Parts: sequence; C-alpha cells; structure tokens
Amino acid sequence: MHQDDEIPQRLDRRSLRRLLRYALAYPRLLKQSAALLILGTLGQVMGPVLVKIFLDDYVTQSHYPLNDLLLLGCTYAALYGLSAWAGYWQAMRLNEIAFNVVRSLRAQVFSTVIRKPLSYFDHRPTGKLVSRITNDTEAIKDLFLHVLSTFVQGIVLMIAIFIAMAILDPRLMLVCLIIVPVMFMVMLTYQHLSAPRYHKARSILSQINATLSESVQGMRIIQLMNQQRRFNQDFVKTSQSHFAARMTNLKLDAMLLRPMPDLLGTLTLAGVLFYFGSLSMTTAVEIGVIYAFVNYLARITEPVLQMTQRLSMLQQAVVAGERVFEILDEGSQTQASANQQITNGHVEFSDVSFSYDGEHPVLRNISFSVEPGQFYAIVGHTGSGKSTLMSLLMRFYAPQTGQILLDGWQLHEIDQDSLRNQVGVVLQDPFITTGTVRDNICLGQDMTDEQIMRAAEQAQIHEFVMTLPLAYDTPMDERGANFSTGQRQLLSLARTLAHKPRILILDEATANIDSHTEAVIQSALMQLKGSTSIIAIAHRLSTITAADQILVLHQGEITQRGSHQQLLAHEGLYRNMYFLQQSRAV
Amino acid sequence: MDIFLKLGWYFREQWRRYVVAGLLLIIVDVLELSIPWLVGRLIDGVVARSLDSQRLMSYVISVLVLAVLIYIMRFLWRMFLFSASFQLAERLRQQVYQHLTLMAPGFYNKHRTGDLMARATNDVTAVEMTAGEGVLSGLDGLVTGILVLAVMMITVSWELTLVALLPFPLMAWFFFVIGTRLHDGFRDAQERFSDLNDKVQESVSGIRMTRAFGREVREDADFMRVADRAAEANMRVAATDSLYDPAIFITVGVSFMVSIAMGAWLIEQDRITLGQLTSFTMYLGYLIWPMFAYGWLLNLVERGSAAYARIIALLDARSPVQDDGTRVLAANVDIHWQVNAFEYPGANSTALSNINLRVAQGQTLGIVGATGAGKSTLISLLLRYYDHDSATVSIGGDSVKSYTLESLRGMIAVVPQDAFLFTASIAQNIALGCPEATIEQIRAAARLASVEQDILRFPAGYDTLVGERGVTLSGGQKQRIAIARALLMDTPILVLDDALSAVDVSTERNILSHLKEARQGRTTIILCHRLSAVEEADQIVVLSHGELKERGTHTSLLQAKGWYARMFDYQKLEQAVASGR
Repeated sequence: MHQDDEIPQRLDRRSLRRLLRYALAYPRLLKQSAALLILGTLGQVMGPVLVKIFLDDYVTQSHYPLNDLLLLGCTYAALYGLSAWAGYWQAMRLNEIAFNVVRSLRAQVFSTVIRKPLSYFDHRPTGKLVSRITNDTEAIKDLFLHVLSTFVQGIVLMIAIFIAMAILDPRLMLVCLIIVPVMFMVMLTYQHLSAPRYHKARSILSQINATLSESVQGMRIIQLMNQQRRFNQDFVKTSQSHFAARMTNLKLDAMLLRPMPDLLGTLTLAGVLFYFGSLSMTTAVEIGVIYAFVNYLARITEPVLQMTQRLSMLQQAVVAGERVFEILDEGSQTQASANQQITNGHVEFSDVSFSYDGEHPVLRNISFSVEPGQFYAIVGHTGSGKSTLMSLLMRFYAPQTGQILLDGWQLHEIDQDSLRNQVGVVLQDPFITTGTVRDNICLGQDMTDEQIMRAAEQAQIHEFVMTLPLAYDTPMDERGANFSTGQRQLLSLARTLAHKPRILILDEATANIDSHTEAVIQSALMQLKGSTSIIAIAHRLSTITAADQILVLHQGEITQRGSHQQLLAHEGLYRNMYFLQQSRAV
Repeated sequence: MDIFLKLGWYFREQWRRYVVAGLLLIIVDVLELSIPWLVGRLIDGVVARSLDSQRLMSYVISVLVLAVLIYIMRFLWRMFLFSASFQLAERLRQQVYQHLTLMAPGFYNKHRTGDLMARATNDVTAVEMTAGEGVLSGLDGLVTGILVLAVMMITVSWELTLVALLPFPLMAWFFFVIGTRLHDGFRDAQERFSDLNDKVQESVSGIRMTRAFGREVREDADFMRVADRAAEANMRVAATDSLYDPAIFITVGVSFMVSIAMGAWLIEQDRITLGQLTSFTMYLGYLIWPMFAYGWLLNLVERGSAAYARIIALLDARSPVQDDGTRVLAANVDIHWQVNAFEYPGANSTALSNINLRVAQGQTLGIVGATGAGKSTLISLLLRYYDHDSATVSIGGDSVKSYTLESLRGMIAVVPQDAFLFTASIAQNIALGCPEATIEQIRAAARLASVEQDILRFPAGYDTLVGERGVTLSGGQKQRIAIARALLMDTPILVLDDALSAVDVSTERNILSHLKEARQGRTTIILCHRLSAVEEADQIVVLSHGELKERGTHTSLLQAKGWYARMFDYQKLEQAVASGR
C-alpha cells in the first residue's frame, strides 16, 4: 500500500547511476560474477553447436567412431554441468552484491536518520520515515537482486547467441537479427502504455483497502447513521472500477507481454526456414545449422520477456533511490569536537527563552542555578513548559536566547563522553534495551559485578533479579515484559546509580508507580543528595517535599520558587496544586 | 485439491468463460506442437532432397498462419480465464464488505482490524490466484504434458520418449521441493522484514531516548543485527530461487544427451529420421512447463485453500445481535432501563447492576461517574449493541429488541467518545446520516454545534477534505463536527457520550444553550466527566462501579454532599490550577 509512490514516466538516470555505483564497492565479487556469467553463457550457447557437429559430421554421414562420440558426449555433459554450476554461483555472487549494497545503504540511511536534529522528527510522520529505511531500501534490493541480473544475463545471452549464429551462418544470423529491434520496440511500447495504467489500478486498490480499513474502524458510526446501504454501494462501485482497470491491464499484458515475443520468435523461425529451405534447393546445406538456429530462436525470446517484466521494478527502485538519497544528502547533525569536562555538577539556566515555531514562546526568561549536590524540582500544570525545559537540558533543542551552563561551560562545549557519563537521566518511560539484565545496568560500559550488584541493591532490585533463572544474565523480554513497570523503573534507577553521574535528571520518574516503589526511589535519591545535583520534573508533589528549591512554571515562566514549606505557606498555584492532589483520592 | 470443489459454485456460474478458456488452451497446445512437426518434415525434405519451392512455401506459410492463430488464441484464453478470476476477487471483496456492515459492535471487539483487512486483501488475492493461475497450471500443465508425450510417442518413437523422460520426474520433484522451500523461506523473510520495520519504528519513535543516553552507535549496531537477520532470510530465499536454473539445466541437459545418443542409434537403425529427432528435441523443451506447473499448482492450492477457509469463516460469522424486530414506529420515546445484572460477553465481572432508570420524552438526562463506572454501557444497551436476558431497555414501552435495527437507530443520534471522521469533505461528514441534506441545513447544524467559524477559516470551507490526506483537525473541532452530524439527523433522542471533553468551557456553554433551544420537546442524554455539562439537566445520575449511587438535580446533589459535590469542588480547584491561580 504505497500511496505516495508516484511512478514518473521518465527514469532519473542520475539516481540510477548513483545506485549502481554502490556495486562498484565490491570489485572482487563483480569480477567473479562477470567471469562466471561468461562461462555459464558459453556453456549454454555451446550446447547446440555440439549437437550441430554431431548431426552434421556423424549422423548425416552415418559414421559413428566410438572414441569421437564419447568425447563429444563427455564435452556436452561437461558443458551442461559447467553452465549449471557457473549459473548458480554467478547468481549467488550477484545475490551477495545485492545484499551487501542494501546492507551498507540501510546502515547509512538509518544512522543518518537517527542523527538528524530532533526538530526533523517533529513534522514527519513516523510511518513515512520508517518506510524510507525499510520499504525503499527493499525496493533497491530488488534492483540488484532481480533487475540487474535479468538485464545483464539477458543481454549477455543474446549477444552470445548472435555471435554463435554468426559463426554458424552470418547471413542467417542477419535474418534473425531483425527480431531484436522489433522486440525492444514492443518492450518499450508495453512499458509506456502499461506504467500509467498499472499505477491507476494500484491506486484504486489502495483506495479499496483504505475504504475497507476506514469502514471497519467507523462501522459503528455507519450503522448508527443507517448508512450501510450507501457505503455498500460506494464500495461496489470502487470495486467495479478496480475490475475495469485490471481488465485494461490484462488486455495489454495479453496483447504485448507473454504471447508477443513468442509470436515474433515463431515469425523469425518462418524466415529461417524459408531462407534455409530455398538455400537447400541450390546448394548442399548442413542440417545441424538449422537445428542450432531453431534451438537458439527458442531461447532468445525469454530474456526479452523477463526484461520487460522487470521494467516497473526498475522504476520503483530508482524512485525509492531518489527518496533515500534525499535523506542522505540532507545530512545529519554534525557534532563539533568539544573537550570540556564536567567535574562539579553545577547547572545554570541563564535567561533562557525558547519557541518551537519561532512564533509562540514556550519558555520565557528562565533563570536558576543549581549548586553541586542540590536537589531542584520543577512543577507545573500540563502545558506549562516543564517538558520543554527538560528537552533543552538534554540538548534535544537549542534555546533561541539565553544560555544553559554546566560547570560554567555551554552544552556544546562539553565533551560528548563526559556529558554521557556525568549526566544521568531517568525518564518517565524507563528505557530498556535488549540483552541481559546486566547489559541494562552497565549499558555498554565496563563494570565489575560488585559495582553492578551494589547499584542494584541501592535501587532495591537486587533481590528480584536473584529470583530470575539466570540472575543478572537473564535476557530481557521484548521491552522488558518480564519486569513490571515499577521494576523497570528500579532497573533504570540502578543503571543511573551504577554510573555515578554528577548531575541527575529525573523526568516524572515516579509518575506511574506504586507507593512502595516510590518510597524506594525516594530513599535512593536521598542517598545521592549532597554528592549529585538533581533536577526533577515532578507530577506528584509528594515526591519533592525534600527539594532544596521548587520552581513553579506557568505558561513558560517561573511564577513561584522556594522550598515546599515556604510555597505551601502562601496562597498560590503551588498550594492549589498540592490540595488538588491531596483531594484526588475521591 | 478440494479447493476446486469448494470453488465449484463459481466455476459452475462462470462455466462459459472457463469452458471457452479451456478449449482455447487445448487448441493452442495442439497448434503449438504442430510447429516442431512441420520443422521436422522440412528437414526430412532437405535430407531426402525432395523439397521444392511449392512445398517449402506451404511449410513456411503454415508456420506463419499457426504463429498468428496461436497468438490470437493465447490472447483470448487469457482474457476469458483471468477476467473470471479477477471477477471472483471483486465478488469476494464485496461479499466481505457487505457482511461486515451487518456485524454488530460486539463482533468488532473480537476481531482486530488488521486481521479483517488481511482476509479482504491477501486472502482474496490467494483465492484469485487459485481460480486463475491455479486453473491454468492445472489444466494447461496436464494437457501440454499428455499431448507432448502422445505426440512424441506417436510421431517419433515410444522407446525414445521413455528414455528421454527418465530425468523428468526428478525435475518435477526438484520444482516441488524448491517451490516449497521458497514459500517457507519467503514467509520467514517477510517475518524478518516486519521485525526490521518494528525495529525502525521503535528507533524512530524512541529517538529522544537514543539522544538522551547518547546511544546512537549502539542503535546502529542493534539495527544492523536485525537488518542482517532480514538480509540472511532474504539471502536464503534468493539462494533457493537460484536453484531453479541449475535444476532445469541438469535435467534437461541429461535428457537431451540421452535422447540424442539414443536418437542417433535409432537413426542408424533406420527407425526414425533426422527430422524426427530434431522435432523430438524441440518437444522436450515443451515438457519443462508441465513439470513447473505441477510444483506451482501444489503451492497455489495450499495457499488458496487456507485463504478461502479464512474468508468463509468470516462470511459465516453471525452477528451477536440479530435484526429480528418488527416494530417501526414508537408511541413515544420515554426510555426505561431495567438492568438486574449485565456483564459483557466473555467477561466475568458485572458491568451494570440494579439499575432502574426512566427518562420521559423531552427531558435532559445527565450521567456522570468515574471512568469505567458503566456510563457508556447504558448507552450500548439502549442502542442494542448487546442482547442480555436480565437487562431490558424499552422505548415508548416496547423493548428495543422489538424494533428493527434500522428504526431503532433512526430514533437515536449518538455523538461517540471518539469523533470518527471519514475521508471526505467536512460537509459530507456532517451529512453522513442524511446524504440528501442541503448545504443550508448542513450549515445550520454546524452553527448549532459552534463549529461553523472554524470551518470557514479553512480555505475550502465546507469542501475541505478531512482524514489522512486532508487537513488535521483539533480534537475539539472533530467533536463539534460529530455533534453537528448528530444534530442534522434531528432524531427524537440525542446522546452525547463524553462528546464535549475536548472543547473549552465557554464553547461548551454555547453549544448547550443552542441545544436547549433547538431540541425542545426532545430527549437529550449527556454523559460526561466535566460536571458543568450537566448542570442544567432535568435529572442527573451518578454511576459508580455499575450501580446508581446518587440521583437528583444539580442543586439537590450539591446539597447531598456526596460524590457529586466532592467532584464539583475538585473540578473547581482544577480550573483554578489550569488558569495559573
């Protein structure tokens, strides 16, 4: 269901050339493949020649010397064996090239996409991006796997056949040569006529499927409105137009695709027979030659037919290639080399303002400073800008004005590794990777078992892990399904604790968990207090009563700040929020 | 093979097309085989030096005429056979669609959209293939095989035929094995490919995580692992596919060699001529297709049977609610719910219990309560989404079961929780229930729902396309269009099922006052979370865990100081926080 697959009438040759260049990265495979192709083709073409020798030199003469015949037979068998072997391995080499190309192309697109600036993802539907990485590269795979091999094999075979014909009888070869331009003309006519018509049938089909899926989802409404009959009639109409479109295609296929090359082949055969028959009346002719020609003619139509059938695949691959190249050429975020280290854990927002679209400000003049070891909490109603503030701190976006400083350095001046190691993040949706429990705690870093277990004990997940069949070596199920939500939170906490960051960012880390887990996390955090700077975005105000400073955000501005007790003492947003949560119990 | 029996109804119905296609196929096969025979005769003439120009011309012209005849007939049988199978596909699609429109909502809770879609798309295609390519390979493969064998035996030599045939069963076996492995491998490759899709989907939607943890390099590695698995599966398919040519080559090569060797001996014995041997080798080429057809047929039949069984299972599914009522008109629209206990099919817990609730015609009823308290269940029973022995709803004193579904639905307009809009213009979406409504009526409904100003702000106004390829509407706009849609139907009963949740408080007030004016004397039922929507209702009921806990008017419920009163205070505080106070 590629609704966005517009198939243009003309091929973009530049993209095609660029795609083909990828294969040049494998010269060894290419050379092997070419050598095997020539061998295999030779074997195929030589077969009828051997039979010709057999017929003309022995059968017609009624002369059968055993040794010669054995030699001939063995050569024939060897040729067939050779061309089967060469054909197979040639195909395998081409397969290998195809998969290597697609592999490197996929790796390129994927790593380019995941390194694009986050704003890139804001306006692009996920489905489309996914389709670029998977479906489009898959279409390109078809180019190398099916289109390329069909064309190369077909053309080489045709050339070889004509060479063999020329050796046997040059004039008769010329008679047969007429078929080539005619067949290519048929092929191009077919492509020209069928591409738009196929496209039409396909788009009606995707309309049918879209209607079907929409109707299934909206069936309740259709029934409530008593509109079943009307929707049925519409569906039947679309279905009928699909049938009509397919019949047009069928007519075209039946006229030009399968029966046509055979017709041309048989017509040429008539020409060959005529030439050969008239010749035989004046001079002596070799029967073997006609045998060989009849045989060759039967083989020459098949490659053209296959090429014709592959043309639309070629077009789709090139269109897919264009889209993929567009992503690659736009490039990704370049990471400038930076080497400043985080050693203390001081965080400062200085007059930061930010807007996603440049029109509506989401954050306005935010300033605050977290001393090493302090615990800051940020609260606010939905849409107050607290998630955006976190996004800025995590470098998802850059503020338009103002600065965010860690230990006095701007974010982009800090060494990537230092940033990764010294700034820990516990997100609302705990991040679980595939691999084992251990992998999830050390996340690719070298750690001793002792370190890992200590962290797990601190996060109070150690006991649970020990009940698993392989303890720390137990593999995680898909998205951590063998852990409960709370346990995943604790695992994610253990990971953060194991890395001993200077700065810890908690994003509503305790939003979806039970009060027991919440208490565990609380006590683990309290152990960090004083050594690690903590910035927490909180929904549940009960989790931040111990914060050194609470910032209350409303519509992108800090409207209140102070400790829990101070804020609670005043009439205002914080107090209302607090009471609101207290009364949620109802 | 019983798939052909199961599809017998269609073959019988379309017997003309199938018979004509079959006859044409057979004639084409016969004509095709006469070309090698003509070539053989010509060669014999050359060898015997008996060829004159007249005979040569007759051979050549025969070949030309045959070529054209074959071309025409091949064109024709394709048109007959495939038009029949294409039509079957559309028929099945239409049947599935029509059947789906008859299924009550309970059916859709059990079947996932993706599964239903798969039956109407992939399964239909598989059946179509069986009725087209399957019939072709079965019939043509058989006819060609028998004809070629007969011709080889009769016109050349039966001994030579038997010897030449020796490797062919091996080829058929190869084809079957390769075909089956290809099919399995293909399925595996598709699964791996969908893993790849999932992985990329996960990575793209989890891009923030990747950034936050600086995991780009790890993500690359993870992706490549999945991509490599997909590539390996694909590679296996390609490797299997590459076996076809060597298999053909080796068997045909052996067969050629054997037949030429033996043919030479037979010529030496004067049992056959050189021309016959040439024809014979040409015939051998025709035997590849029947062998291939056999392997292919088995695969097509296997896929087609499974697919057809799934389609039939869908077409045989009965709706959980039967349209067996007869009443068309209601005396009045007084509604009465009498529910002793109701549980959803397949669920263990009761969704509603001990409900006795009446709404007189013209009244406004408010239903409030926490999520999952059973508010929507009351409406499902009113609309007869489910039948249950100890839950009765009556309209005008008659059970909803006594009405035809069409007339029951004709009395009630519902604005559901999720305002579902179809891919069509805004005007068409509003006129969904009354396609013949004039633009003036549509605009009046839109004004009542306070959505006209939003609509006119779009460049194309009421003709603006909504849905996937159209404009993106906000949740509030969708809800209001859905309200306009229900109002246009002008039914005696209107249900707003949490239909004002995404509009702001002042718009809600506007819509409610419009409703009060426009729906005098008619019944309105409002389900909501925000209590402001029911403040003016004649009767408000509070549901909790499927039971009626409080009932009264806004004032009386506030005085009762129960759930309603607590919720009212809570929502007031919530309003304050939302506005930053």
